[in-house]
Amino acid sequence: MLKKIWAVYIRDLKVNTREFITLYLLLIPIIFAFVINALAPSINDTTVKLAMIEGDNPEQVEYLENFAKVSLYKDIEKVTERVERRDNYVGILPEGDGYYIITQGNEPAGVVDFTKALQALYVLDAKVEDSTAEIISFGMDIPPLKKMLVNISILFTSVLGGMLIAINIVEEKGDNTISAVNVTPISRMGFILGKSMTGLILPIYGSISIILITGFSHVNLLQMMLIVLSASLLSLLIGFVEGLANDDMMTAAGSFKMIFLPVAGAVAVAEAVSDKWQWTVWWIPYYWTYKGNDAVLSESATWPQILLYTGIILALSGAVFLLLVPKVKRGLESH
Amino acid sequence: MITVKNLHHSYSRDEKYAVKDVSFEIEKGEIFGFLGPSGAGKSTTQGVLSGLLQLQKGEVTVAGYNVKHIKNKMFNEIGMSFEISNVYNKMTAKENLNFYRKLFDVETREPEDLLEMVGLGDKGNIKAGDFSKGMKHRLTFARSMINNPSIWFLDEPTTGLDPAIAATIKDIIWKEKKKEVTTFLTTHNMHIADELCDRVGFIVDGELILIDSPKNLKLQYGEKFVDIEFVKDGEPIKESLSTIDDKDKARIKNIIDNYEIQTMHTKEATLEEIFIKVTGRGLV
Ligand SMILES: Nc1ncnc2c1ncn2[C@@H]1O[C@H](COP(=O)(O)OP(=O)(O)OP(=O)(O)O)[C@@H](O)[C@H]1O
Ligand SMILES: [Mg+2]
Repeated sequence: MLKKIWAVYIRDLKVNTREFITLYLLLIPIIFAFVINALAPSINDTTVKLAMIEGDNPEQVEYLENFAKVSLYKDIEKVTERVERRDNYVGILPEGDGYYIITQGNEPAGVVDFTKALQALYVLDAKVEDSTAEIISFGMDIPPLKKMLVNISILFTSVLGGMLIAINIVEEKGDNTISAVNVTPISRMGFILGKSMTGLILPIYGSISIILITGFSHVNLLQMMLIVLSASLLSLLIGFVEGLANDDMMTAAGSFKMIFLPVAGAVAVAEAVSDKWQWTVWWIPYYWTYKGNDAVLSESATWPQILLYTGIILALSGAVFLLLVPKVKRGLESH
Repeated sequence: MITVKNLHHSYSRDEKYAVKDVSFEIEKGEIFGFLGPSGAGKSTTQGVLSGLLQLQKGEVTVAGYNVKHIKNKMFNEIGMSFEISNVYNKMTAKENLNFYRKLFDVETREPEDLLEMVGLGDKGNIKAGDFSKGMKHRLTFARSMINNPSIWFLDEPTTGLDPAIAATIKDIIWKEKKKEVTTFLTTHNMHIADELCDRVGFIVDGELILIDSPKNLKLQYGEKFVDIEFVKDGEPIKESLSTIDDKDKARIKNIIDNYEIQTMHTKEATLEEIFIKVTGRGLV
């Protein structure tokens, strides 16, 4: 049985390397990874962002700007507002003789520690020239923008498999070959599994290529695979539905823009909207994929957290599955 | 090898049957010809027998398997050549066969040998999408033999092929028969049906009208036809008429009495003429 499932997968793969559009889809993860690397120098620089009060202590600002991105605001209220936005701004505010640090609470521990250390170094009047140690690195050398791009690329990769499945099913329908396969000993389930392989193997190969090329190879691969594969199951299901519903390769692939909308929405909300609005995208499975991968890429993910996200993704996908089953059944009967 | 009892099939799952109460048996090693006009229900019958269509009503066994509850391994015994060729256009002829053979559990034939047999020996590395209609049809036919089937369904295997290639296909079917392959053959080609089939069934409007061997049919109807060529209003006309059918006899008399006869001879009835005689319908 495995041999036959594999044969179905290899056939799809072979055909997919022959057409420009499908070959392009296969190579997208690698292309994305190299594009991120090409952009990386400009997005690598500053990793910690500080919000401070304008004119309070220009000397301090000048010092800290050597190590972090500093933004200045009129008063405490404005700084607090900035910190409370979704991203990882940390505020440094004056109090009496000293300073205190305000955070929103969801910043990676490294960012906060780094900020504390910077502030301490400033108070101690440590100069870069004086120091023999590398001050900059506290394990906080993951640039957030790069991480975000890598995360989006991985998310995209998990959708690509579904697109290819849709295209491959359109091919079978156009050539009328499903009836020929139906009079061989491969079971219908075996055929479906063979067709599904692309939707699992492409995300695995794609996400691994991306993290290897962009230098995230030290992350917990097992955690990442769990997140990626659970999201891929959903993409794969949508691939079958769109493949059965469309008779033309381009419209089948194009129908995936329906997915990119919630994907983009999930990313945008996760990155830029304040905590109290996050619930608005909880229903999008890809939101949890993005969050899960973000934790994995930051190396702050815990197993309970990953298992929880995986569980949520699978549960939401299960709901989509139940919604789509009648459609799939009808589709399979008429071919 | 094949038994069919009271087979009914309705695409709309109601009383509008495309195949109605069809029963027959096919012996091991026999070639059974299924003849009938377009839309008679030939492909539908073949679809149910080969497991492509769900058996709705009646009993069908194929190679000892009950078709009501199909087991996947039954397909190791079956070969199916489709009426409308269905091969992967983006793959070469050889790749098509190489992929297909991997889906079977039994020993399979070499793609090169099969392509050679159907006259595509030098076309193995060409994409099926670049094939002509006839070439695709031959590839579909070749594919049906890849698992050495003991039961072979052939739906119009020679349609659209030139006479020389049709003769090659006929020879292949003949050779397979020598290996005791049981063949269910649907065709419009009466010469092939006549030469190959041990028995033929006539099907019209979903109903099986008659089953007999071509030999018996000819004994019954043979030498009882006359071809008459005569001139009517300056136009030459040719008719084939039975010498035992009352209506035809009257027609012969009428022609002799009223027109100038040019030629007239008795001959053996062709299967096609017999079909028309028996069913009152043409074959197209
Ligand atoms: N998929 C289908 N859905 C609905 N009706 C169908 C379908 N296939 C065939 N039919 C109908 O069933 C009847 C029998 O068709 P079938 O294809 O079995 O005829 P056939 O004898 O093979 O004809 P031909 O010589 O043209 O191939 C026809 O009336 C046809 O319109
Ligand atoms: Mg037919």
